[in-house]
Amino acid sequence: MATTKKKLFTQMMQQNKGIIYKIVNSYCQHQDDRQDLAQEILTTMWLAFDNYNNEYKFSTWMYRISLNVAISYYRKDNQRQDRVTAKDISMVHIADLSQDREMSEDIGQLYQFIGQLDQLNKAIMLLYLENEPHDVIAINLGITKTNVATRIGRIKQTLRHQFNAQRA
Amino acid sequence: MNLDDFRDTWQQHHSETSATITINDTLLTEMKVNARVKEISHMKWARMIESIAFFFIIVVLCQYIMKDFSLSAPTVSACILSLFALIGLAGNIGQIVLIAKIDFSKPVGELQRDIYRICSHKLQVTKLLFMSVPFYMAYVVIGFDILLGVDLVQQLEQSMVWFYTLSSVILLTITSALSVKLHYRNISTPWVKHTIRFIVGERLVKMAQFINSIETTDK
Repeated sequence: MATTKKKLFTQMMQQNKGIIYKIVNSYCQHQDDRQDLAQEILTTMWLAFDNYNNEYKFSTWMYRISLNVAISYYRKDNQRQDRVTAKDISMVHIADLSQDREMSEDIGQLYQFIGQLDQLNKAIMLLYLENEPHDVIAINLGITKTNVATRIGRIKQTLRHQFNAQRA
Repeated sequence: MNLDDFRDTWQQHHSETSATITINDTLLTEMKVNARVKEISHMKWARMIESIAFFFIIVVLCQYIMKDFSLSAPTVSACILSLFALIGLAGNIGQIVLIAKIDFSKPVGELQRDIYRICSHKLQVTKLLFMSVPFYMAYVVIGFDILLGVDLVQQLEQSMVWFYTLSSVILLTITSALSVKLHYRNISTPWVKHTIRFIVGERLVKMAQFINSIETTDK
């Protein structure tokens, strides 16, 4: 039973691990913090896996946990004492975003833009980029659909201004 | 390029991201507890110990009330203090239930509110102590009765009784107003922000700002 659970979890995790990469790069500025947050997300997910309801998409469940951990983690990371240990590093390894030469310029710019947003807008932006409709974003974040639409409208406007400013 | 164009680029990026993260499945699935679970467990134990302390205070105060069950000043004072202890105990039990129900797969807004409620425990206890300030005479009256066996109120002149009553009413108005103000909805008010930061810390200020930002746009 335990082996089946482990197998199922690792299989699903391997298929969706890109979500963790996107979230840690959106919520953390430093590589150490990304590594630490990734480890925190993964372990929280593993410990919560018993309560996973397979009526929902695994990626949706993963997004919720990752965003919840990232939002509450980021608040305390300025004074974090429990930095990554050697064991944590061997548990998860994230490629350094700044060293990734294969990443397109657009994606680099997009991460930079997401990094400037506030906690809630970061979450909205990530789900929006995953092609999630407004009502699904609203359910996952526990906010109203109108709030989502308003915030996406503002994000689009800010992005447009930034691009115009860059061109000028 | 606008945000909608970026969506397509982001979809292509998804396939590349899997290669940039390596997970040691064996180490991960051996994990029994993480920093977050440890933190929550410590909180639960702390709330349990506090509950026992509140329960002990209630028992002692009830014994004191039962000893002389009359409408005397020391008995009324003991009733007031046991009411505060009862509120404290109820709050702690609520916290233990909330901690047991913490679920990271809840919608973000909902879970962050739960975490805020748990982390604001110190603030709530401070508010409770603060609200007991107008009843400071209750401590004095009981102290005199226990240590010297004197009913202080009976020894006081009528003018002094009125003075203490009036000062308690004024203090109650002030402390009630301040306690209501010390809420995440008022986090943009500088003194509220500084007080919360002083009592609990920067973490709670940030949580309050996050919840407030959700609710402000939701209105």
